[in-house]
Amino acid sequence: MISRALCVLGALSLLVAGEAQAQPAPPQPVLPPPYAGAYQPQGVDEIGLWREMDEDERVLAQSDLAIRDEALTGYVRKVLCDTVGADRCGAVRIYVLRQPEFNASMAPNGTMQVFTGLLLRVKSEAELGAVLGHEFGHFEARHSLGQLKAWRSGTDVLAWAFVLGSLAPSYNVARSYRNLELSVLGNLYRFGRDQERDADRLGIGYLNGSALRPQAASEVWQKLMGEYEASARAKGLKKPRFDRIAFTASHPPQAERAGYLAELARPDAATRDDGAERYRAALAPWLGMFLDDQIKLNDFGASEYLLQALAQGGWTAQLHHARGELYRMRGAPRDLVNAAQFYADAVALDPAHAEANRGLGLSLLKTGQAGAGQAALRRYLELKPDASDARLIGMMIPAGEPQP
Amino acid sequence: MGGCMHRIAITLFATLLAIYSAFTPLWAQERSAVRQGFELAPQSGKTILLLRPTVRVGAQSTGGLFEPNADWTDQARANIDAALATMQSKLGNVVVAAPEPYGEDARKVAEHMSLFAAVSRAVIEYQFFVGNRLPTKKRDNKADVFDWSLGTGVADLPGAQNADYALFIYNQDQYGSTGRKMLQIVGLVAGVGVTSGQHIGYAGLIDLKSGDLLWLNADFQMGGDVREAEGAHKRVRQLLEDFPGSTMPKDAAPAETKP
Amino acid sequence: MIRPLFHLSAALALTSLLLAPVSAQAHKLRERGAPVAVADTPLTVTPSRDWNRLDVRLGKNTEHWTVDGEQLNDVIFFAAIEPGKPLVRERSKKREPLPKFTAATLLVEVPELLETTWRTYKHSGSFQMTGIEPGRFLGADGVHFTYEFVDQDELPRRGEARAAIIAGKLYMISFEAPRLHYFAAGVEDFRKLADSARLP
Repeated sequence: MISRALCVLGALSLLVAGEAQAQPAPPQPVLPPPYAGAYQPQGVDEIGLWREMDEDERVLAQSDLAIRDEALTGYVRKVLCDTVGADRCGAVRIYVLRQPEFNASMAPNGTMQVFTGLLLRVKSEAELGAVLGHEFGHFEARHSLGQLKAWRSGTDVLAWAFVLGSLAPSYNVARSYRNLELSVLGNLYRFGRDQERDADRLGIGYLNGSALRPQAASEVWQKLMGEYEASARAKGLKKPRFDRIAFTASHPPQAERAGYLAELARPDAATRDDGAERYRAALAPWLGMFLDDQIKLNDFGASEYLLQALAQGGWTAQLHHARGELYRMRGAPRDLVNAAQFYADAVALDPAHAEANRGLGLSLLKTGQAGAGQAALRRYLELKPDASDARLIGMMIPAGEPQP
Repeated sequence: MGGCMHRIAITLFATLLAIYSAFTPLWAQERSAVRQGFELAPQSGKTILLLRPTVRVGAQSTGGLFEPNADWTDQARANIDAALATMQSKLGNVVVAAPEPYGEDARKVAEHMSLFAAVSRAVIEYQFFVGNRLPTKKRDNKADVFDWSLGTGVADLPGAQNADYALFIYNQDQYGSTGRKMLQIVGLVAGVGVTSGQHIGYAGLIDLKSGDLLWLNADFQMGGDVREAEGAHKRVRQLLEDFPGSTMPKDAAPAETKP
Repeated sequence: MIRPLFHLSAALALTSLLLAPVSAQAHKLRERGAPVAVADTPLTVTPSRDWNRLDVRLGKNTEHWTVDGEQLNDVIFFAAIEPGKPLVRERSKKREPLPKFTAATLLVEVPELLETTWRTYKHSGSFQMTGIEPGRFLGADGVHFTYEFVDQDELPRRGEARAAIIAGKLYMISFEAPRLHYFAAGVEDFRKLADSARLP
């Protein structure tokens, strides 16, 4: 009783310390609390939430947006288990959803959703583990339940949007306004800052206790903020609207967060493995698809930032090609000149890259270099005679030239 | 988000709520329709495949938030299943529960359920709902035409080979909490109608050979407290009233639902 | 971890959605055999069956037609889109810009313009181009293309579209419907509609 009170006092003082100053908490390595065993819902609210989640999971499991690849899902599960430990991760069911945003969530019944946009942005097992561990922290601390209670008693205007959205879901709404949070796939929860801090602490605690490098947790947020700033800059906005962005809304200020995460990471763990090589290898079959999904979101600044980040390990033909697509799609005259260069770089590294030849051909045509453009398109058709647009491209090459 | 934005937001949503509440009665219509020329005689020897009904039951907080309640949902599901079972004789024909689907079958069932929901909403929005009818549907109404379909893919649903028709049922109940009832009273004083609780149901009968929607009953203000056996019985009777070939008595106007 | 549920433009969208039913009968009949102009442009079509024009506008140069409701069949006209413009109205020009049709856009790039527009507008990762072919449209060489996607209502849909660039402006007509039954049931009527499209 008294020790629990002291515990609570201790926790409170930590939180108060965090609030009172913009500086990170004292540098104490935080270990996760002892695991309480299989998680069972208790009380009317929680059981109700689980029932709702179970129903949602039935739909989720059938969803066309779920990537049902055992290798990929198994790998994500491996990273989660490496982070939080095998006894905890046994209760979790992982779904990878093809959604080009940085986000992951965990429902109270053990369903974890991981978006492909997250997989594109983390560069190592440690970074992925940091995010998944944070989500698992919400789950272990049963934050969703507290939030339902908070919703019920609060005057939060956000609740209205949820209600109205849930009462009239229709195709019309989907067509005119897509709000992921209102869909069964996006039954994501919004937590208060204190809960986010708690989840951060639990997450870093798991990492500290794992074999992965915990310093990665802080780096994830720094990179994310860099991306949002780059996005805002390219749009001519003064600063990014962090409160509008998934995963940062209602979170502690970024500097504070990156700060205390860095502080809480065990210093002696800084030399641990990141798992970066293993991560790159696991992501490789999917990188093209995830990059394509990102570029087609028309967020030039963010996409360019991500490409630069991915290229820190060296520019590949795939990355050059993606950059070419990005610039060609924005399509201003100078962009087209740059695009042609990027595609050419891709082709130089991999002459058999059909799509890069296509992009090169189109960009050259659009910058007035018809001859070279047509030659590149011809190479594209030679490399990929069964391309879905082969006939149309064929019509752009003058008759009399060799055609497939 | 700055404080100013927050105030604007609250004002906007208060307006939104007022507008929405005012329009709620427009949605509180019960409508059913039968495909032209369709008749189903009682004891005709036809078999009806009952797909797993979607049942969600919970409370509605002051802010209108749906709080799922698993006990209520379990009770409701059990009660609805029991009520459906006892009404088979009254339905006039044999009802068989669809087998639990797995893998590809589960995907097919899910897609058909999504399509049924989309068709039901289209019927409600564009043929039933007075303020929003499509010109061609208005014409259909005048000519007593009700022509909608899920397509012939229904024949591939698990259990379809042994049945003539499929019964799709969707049910969602939100019981008004005490707080919501208070808001209702306040709303009445302020001149804004605020409904307490929401009881939506739709039931549709599909021809498993053609996919045609033979009958649809859509109700946004159903009666009966599905958490109790008698209430579920009443609800199912309401959902299935006018069911072709049934001998069930038509319900009176939807009664007040108990909290 | 989510973005806030509240979004000012969302509130406006929801408001307009909820207000829509109240406005008097604004869906108009498009009668079989009667040539009619689209989106106040010189583009005309002559329907081979009765259609309904929905009182919903995604942009100044767009129109939605449907037979049973846009959930089940949805024809969208994009008429006389000028260089520098997006296909549909942007929710926020600065924060959520949509890709633009440009003077340099090639015909073969038009399908990807529609794809990127929908992906950006819906914040979606679900869109698969399934075919791109040369084909006639509005009496000129154009492009015919097909695609698949899944929206918020979890119902997989198929799409088919035709486009042409005429006098520097983009003209496009698309048809989208659930792949379960409705696409096949409606695509012929769509093709006839597209075949009937004329510019003076």
